[in-house]
Amino acid sequence: MALEVRDLRKRFGAVEVLRGVSASFDDGTVTAILGDNGAGKSTLLKTIYGIYPVENGTVRLGDLDISNLAIRERRRQGIEMVFQDLALTRQQSVVANLFMGREEVCRPFGVLRKKKMRAVALQALGKLGITIPSLERPVASLSGGQQQAIAIARALLDDPKVLLLDEPTAALAAGEVSKTLALIRSARQEGKVVVLVTHRLNDVFEVADRVIVMKHGSIFSDRAVTETSPAQVISEIVS
Amino acid sequence: MFDKLPQPMAAAVQPLLLLTLLVVVFALSAPAFLSFANLNNVLTASATVGLIALGATFVIASGNIDLSPGAVMALSAVVTANYAQHIDASPVGCVVVAGGIGLAVGLLNGWLISLTGAPSFIITLGTLSVARAIAYIASGGVPVYGLPDSALIVGQGALFGIHLPVLILMVCVVMSGFTLRFTRFGQHTLHMGDDAKAAQALGINLPRLRLQIFGLAGALAGLAGLIFMARTNSGDPSAGQSYELLGITAVILGGANLFGGKASVLSTFTGLLALAVLQNGLNLLAIETFYQVLFVGLVLILSAGLRRGELGSWR
Repeated sequence: MALEVRDLRKRFGAVEVLRGVSASFDDGTVTAILGDNGAGKSTLLKTIYGIYPVENGTVRLGDLDISNLAIRERRRQGIEMVFQDLALTRQQSVVANLFMGREEVCRPFGVLRKKKMRAVALQALGKLGITIPSLERPVASLSGGQQQAIAIARALLDDPKVLLLDEPTAALAAGEVSKTLALIRSARQEGKVVVLVTHRLNDVFEVADRVIVMKHGSIFSDRAVTETSPAQVISEIVS
Repeated sequence: MFDKLPQPMAAAVQPLLLLTLLVVVFALSAPAFLSFANLNNVLTASATVGLIALGATFVIASGNIDLSPGAVMALSAVVTANYAQHIDASPVGCVVVAGGIGLAVGLLNGWLISLTGAPSFIITLGTLSVARAIAYIASGGVPVYGLPDSALIVGQGALFGIHLPVLILMVCVVMSGFTLRFTRFGQHTLHMGDDAKAAQALGINLPRLRLQIFGLAGALAGLAGLIFMARTNSGDPSAGQSYELLGITAVILGGANLFGGKASVLSTFTGLLALAVLQNGLNLLAIETFYQVLFVGLVLILSAGLRRGELGSWR
């Protein structure tokens, strides 16, 4: 169940942000994507996830072409994303955020199955080792690290096949960074495709199996992490 | 202090304190205030604004504003009055027509907001004018009088001594309270108002949700128009002037965040009652209408001041 993108192109007005990006991402591997600001890293992730429509090229998950699926459908197929800004609704409860967009409901009126969601949330947070004072508290009352944990827990809640992470450690303290990296390792062990966009080279060399450097909307280099070094990656980014 | 209460109850505490204060003041100063007949009248008079306030609760919870309900009320009243006079005066027929008119304008609001990307404030300001103008054009500028008795039941009937508008309001309060708090639609409405970008990123279909929210608010405004028509025995194109502002006032008195993400029907209802009690109490004390408007404004400002930061801020 590998993820594959072929000849992805994306344009914002006159600026071509993705210029025919092609890559495949294997199960049970962590691929880090690095590059300068404006290189197209986040745009690539958001195009795979469905925030930006695919204008040209294809996104495939295994045998399935998901290029034209809406976000909701892509999530159903097992693609989840952790956003740089976390995409949390901060006045709502932890449970409401964990289940945002895929609530457990009784049909036909869409009545929320609050007890079930709460039980699943408790189990999921416990499995990930995340401690939250109360599931009913608004997310705004939690610390930055806890909010990050909620965003990651939400992405992992339905046992996704693909985990897209956009700067997941950018705003975290050192202790929280190591917890996040442990979650990424654990996702890899479970055989998930993990694609990590980050500026933090330390993170890359701690968890990634492969490093892609993007420049001006194209892939500049693509190597196993064992075949490169931080110095080489930096020189490729700034060259 | 109220953190341990369930969320909607905690949210209703402050407007409840305001309501209690007003009830105590008027009970002491106007002996007729606490009579069953007067309280029944207070609720009956609040039914139309109440229905609008319920719709406004969803709209504000979603981070939007709807300025059209007063005009939708008038349009619904005029069209339903004509329908009752010439086609069918059965209560069910009138409810379907009035609700349908409101639903149609509400759906139009939601569709136009999504289509243009313009703020809901501007689009509904436009539909306010359009709906009001159509009401005047359809009625020739004069109220439609002399409706069949069966068309008036919704506004003038009673069950166990309680006026039907009160019962309709109560049913709608319970249903919309349940919907906002216990359904996916309600939760998505709050997500959208809290952070529309986040809601969209998680796959919530915002254009469809907007249609549903504004459709619901429109249908409630249409129903309010029917009650107004049935109470006054006329389809008046000038009906419902500024009712949308009273509805919004009730929602804000209830402690909703004007920028979305936080609202409760129970709180709105408490805010509505506070508003109704204030107006009724001042009436009983024979205070002139101009001063009543002044007091409503002062209470709203005071309430907003006491909850600085909770209602949303432009700063």
